[in-house]
Amino acid sequence: MTDKIEILQRALERERKARKQAESILEEKALELYELNKQLKSSNDTLTNLNQQQTSKLKGVFDSLVDAYILMDIKGNIIEMNTAAKKLFGYNIETEKINVVNLIYKEDIQYAMQSYTHLIKHGFFQNYNARIYTKSKHVKRVHINASLIYDSSGIPTAAQGIIRDITTETKKQEIFENQKQQLSIIVENSPVGIALTQNGTFIEFNKAFQQLLGYDTDELKKMTIKDVSFEEDFPSSAAYLKQLDAGTINRFTVSKRYLCKDQSIVWAKTSVGAVRDKNHNIQYQVAIVEDITEEYKQEQLKKQLLLDLEKSNNELNDFAHVISHDLKSPLRSMNALIYWLKEDYSKVLDENAKDILKKLTLKVSKMDALIGGVLDYSSIDKVQQRQENVNLQLLVNDIKKVIFIPKNITITIPRKLPTIFGDQYRLQQLFQNILNNAVSYIDKEKGIVEVSFSETNTHWEFQIKDNGIGIEKRHQEKIFEVFQSLEHSEHSTGIGLSIVKKIVAFYEGKIWLQSKVGKGTTFYFTIKKNS
Amino acid sequence: MKSLSFLLIEDDEIERMKFQRVFSKLGKRHTVTTALHGEEALETITKGIIPDIILLDLNMPKMNGIDFLKHFKKEEHLRYIPIVILTTSNNYQEIKNCYKEGASGYIIKPLEYEEYAERIKFLVTYWEHNEIANL
Repeated sequence: MTDKIEILQRALERERKARKQAESILEEKALELYELNKQLKSSNDTLTNLNQQQTSKLKGVFDSLVDAYILMDIKGNIIEMNTAAKKLFGYNIETEKINVVNLIYKEDIQYAMQSYTHLIKHGFFQNYNARIYTKSKHVKRVHINASLIYDSSGIPTAAQGIIRDITTETKKQEIFENQKQQLSIIVENSPVGIALTQNGTFIEFNKAFQQLLGYDTDELKKMTIKDVSFEEDFPSSAAYLKQLDAGTINRFTVSKRYLCKDQSIVWAKTSVGAVRDKNHNIQYQVAIVEDITEEYKQEQLKKQLLLDLEKSNNELNDFAHVISHDLKSPLRSMNALIYWLKEDYSKVLDENAKDILKKLTLKVSKMDALIGGVLDYSSIDKVQQRQENVNLQLLVNDIKKVIFIPKNITITIPRKLPTIFGDQYRLQQLFQNILNNAVSYIDKEKGIVEVSFSETNTHWEFQIKDNGIGIEKRHQEKIFEVFQSLEHSEHSTGIGLSIVKKIVAFYEGKIWLQSKVGKGTTFYFTIKKNS
Repeated sequence: MKSLSFLLIEDDEIERMKFQRVFSKLGKRHTVTTALHGEEALETITKGIIPDIILLDLNMPKMNGIDFLKHFKKEEHLRYIPIVILTTSNNYQEIKNCYKEGASGYIIKPLEYEEYAERIKFLVTYWEHNEIANL
């Protein structure tokens, strides 16, 4: 029995021990738990703090974002908006409920739905570009990037989007595109060739440039300026290109040749301008190329014609000069021979023979005067004479002493003639020939020749009026032509008035006349001042 | 009065006759040699007949007047001899050019023989009154 009790007592003892042990373990564990709990609590506090911190930080970021930010639930109800979003849409999320569907511009709904489907399927969309309504029903163009937000079990619970207002930008872009298009229309339709080059290769060019050279676009893009230029023309551009590089000029123009696809040559006026970057280095060169082949040919032709003309003019002058002198010499011989006949045979020659010899001498004189006239005429615009102030009053008075004036004729000058700038010799020829002409054709008992003048800003005008036989209308044009005289006269060679006309033309003036047959003639002529 | 030797360079026969006729009527002791053109004149001179005064026509075959003048004025031992131009040309450039090349006078042949005779008389008288740098 005791054994049993002992056994029981020992068992009880063991049990007690075990409980005690368990209690102490429990106590230990409780303490551990307590500690752990404490730790947990503190880290939870830290986390909450952290979370709060992050949330407010994020809020700060969202609010200070330049772009609008929207958070919405999966049905499109907006949960949150940042300041920029409120400003863009004009809604206040704290006081009113909005669904994004109401914001979509009606024409863009289909596109919006497609983008939404994409969002749900792939979790995001990018570069959504469409119009939206603001609260005040204004339409704005926006750019949106959006993504889904998932909970811990991977189910989408919300979506967020960053929205950028690109209304102004788009408008600017549109204007820019418009202008670009307009510009390109101008460039494309320009009749002059325009080419953009970089380091000697063609970057862009218009139709005209392409047509000028005859290459198609692809061919031309593989070519360089050198391929279509002539080496001989390089030096004319080289100096300019140096200046262009140095920045001392921004544009230059040269006339150069281009080699076309069909090996023909085109002359073109080429104006090269520099397009510079911020650092003033040349980024591109713009060449404006104008086909002047025709003009060039015309120019060459003109030059040649002018040269030919000058040559033949010189030849003509030389011809007149040489001929005149060659003709003059025999006349001098003839005069001498006639004289010797008269001198050596004066006793043998009868009156008739002497008369014939006298007439012969006169003819020789006439011939000499003619030749002198031709010589004067041909040298009017040839020899450059000394230009000086010429007192016409003195000049005319001198002429009165030189020319033959029949006794019944007087030359009057009512108002003192001016002093004008010109050359003495030509002016003398001018007045002398006209006066000579005037006094030669007066049939009145009392002949009067009157010299008067007036002036304009640019010209002097002179009038020489006579009361002579007058000139018939049908002859009035002809009298200024070479070798035209109204009647055969001993004094007239028929060159005088053509010399007058040529001198007047030399002084950039005009000559004309008024005449009445039987009453007299007035010659008018002008001389340009300071010419 | 000293005796002067003239050399007339003139291709035209009548012109030479005119000069000699005027000359002979003057009745002076001066002499006249003629040459048909510049080349002949140079030949005459190289033969040792050195004139006191040369009268020179401008329009001539072979060597014309201006060429002769230029050539002559280059010769160191001859250039002192005065050359008077006798021509029909009154061209200003030609006159200027002749003086530039060293001509001592320029006489235009007038149409009338009588006037010509007058001018030649004056010419001769003028040179009679001048000192000649004869050797």
